[in-house]
Amino acid sequence: MLVLRDLQKKYTKFRLGYLWSLLEPLGMSLVLWLVFSVLLGERALGLSPYLLFLSVAILPWWWFTKCVNASTKIFRRSRGELAFATLPPQIWVMRTVLSSSVEFVFSLPVIVLAVALTQDLPGMYFLFFPIAILLQFLLLYGVGLLVSSLSIVIPDLARVVKIVLRAMFYLSPILYSISNIPQSLHTIAAINPLVGILGLYRIGWWPEEHTSMAALVISLSVAAGLFIAGIYTFHRLKPRLLKEA
Amino acid sequence: MNIIDFVNVSLTMPRTKRRKGSGRKQRLRRFAGETSRSMVPVIEDVSFTVNKGDSVAIVSGKPILRTALVRLAAGTLIPDTGTVTRLASVVPMISIARAMGPTFTVRQNAYLVGGLLGMKPGELAEKLPGIIEFADLGNYLDRHLNGAPSSTRQRLAWSIAMAVDADVYAIDQTLVVGELEFRQKCWSAVDKLRENGATFLISSDGAKQYRRFCDRGLYFEQGALIADTTVPEALALARKARREPRGE
Repeated sequence: MLVLRDLQKKYTKFRLGYLWSLLEPLGMSLVLWLVFSVLLGERALGLSPYLLFLSVAILPWWWFTKCVNASTKIFRRSRGELAFATLPPQIWVMRTVLSSSVEFVFSLPVIVLAVALTQDLPGMYFLFFPIAILLQFLLLYGVGLLVSSLSIVIPDLARVVKIVLRAMFYLSPILYSISNIPQSLHTIAAINPLVGILGLYRIGWWPEEHTSMAALVISLSVAAGLFIAGIYTFHRLKPRLLKEA
Repeated sequence: MNIIDFVNVSLTMPRTKRRKGSGRKQRLRRFAGETSRSMVPVIEDVSFTVNKGDSVAIVSGKPILRTALVRLAAGTLIPDTGTVTRLASVVPMISIARAMGPTFTVRQNAYLVGGLLGMKPGELAEKLPGIIEFADLGNYLDRHLNGAPSSTRQRLAWSIAMAVDADVYAIDQTLVVGELEFRQKCWSAVDKLRENGATFLISSDGAKQYRRFCDRGLYFEQGALIADTTVPEALALARKARREPRGE
């Protein structure tokens, strides 16, 4: 119910309504494609076809940033609601994650469009695509719990999160492929939980994106660690959080 | 039969009052090392029980204490020390109207608030005609809330909370809403619920409501429970405390 209201609130303001969740990622990937593929010419960044390569990773990335950014504000915006709602406060985090997920799912036709434009159909490993979505959902829920509860205690966290996200954008294989990173750094790169998940998104088109099982395991276990840390922190900070609301 | 048990409950709350001054002044103060969110003790070592069918008045000069107690009873606050045990479902009626969205219609708001109070959509759909009839909002059902009279929010909030099936109603300051006619309707609704054995926990500014509805008064001073008596006695204590300045 809350999710529905959230979406309604967001889209009634604009004339094009739900179309925006399609147009925004489409426009942004076109811009990035122009810059990195057309203007910079034949650089060995990423894999071809670059438009598809980019959009497969950038949509999940936007899902990630939007959700994490929104979760810094969850309990600042819901003042008053928490005072009387008999629901557990985790619901508010779940609501943010869910509504951003819905947006992500709505933006998926961009990938379909990119596939149609480039005539590059995914292979058998495409099966990992939904798994990657599920993993990212769980990761976001964990990070959301962590960030939303911590930002009540430390209001400055919202700014820090913005910077960290910007750094992660360049540290994750979004504009480039994991194979652009020197082999020796792969294990270090894998500490970033998004590396593993983004790899799973791309594996259907480019099997070489999957480098080693070990890197994937590291990546996913960091994600699991974040999930557990999120649940634990949220549980510890719950009394404080309810007081502030 | 006891329904809500407070055992040695203590609680501190962040200071709610905003300091005076412009945003720049506030930032300067923070820069100078003033922590803006100091914690204030609100409730100190309070123990009491609410029995089934009771109608308890919370008498205290501090609004924050009254709100905190109502929220503790409803479980939307967790005490620092001590425990609050609830053996029944509690509906908190605290600033419900604030959570409504002005861009949603009355119907949408009803679903939103009802959902927050723990009702299922199907259950709400059943009760919606009753709610709307009680609030007398038939004309506004599909209109945006900011286009409706300002009393609409309060009426709607009240009607929804009354429609929830619960054993305990914890009411904070919202007891009197709307115009005279609607107020009387609310009062008769409360009386009816009391006859059916519902328990009430009421916090309010005015002594009038306490006298009318409550059969038990809890008087608090400085965060501690001073007296657990009848309503007139608790009110008398409050009056006395007001006349004699603190620290005498």
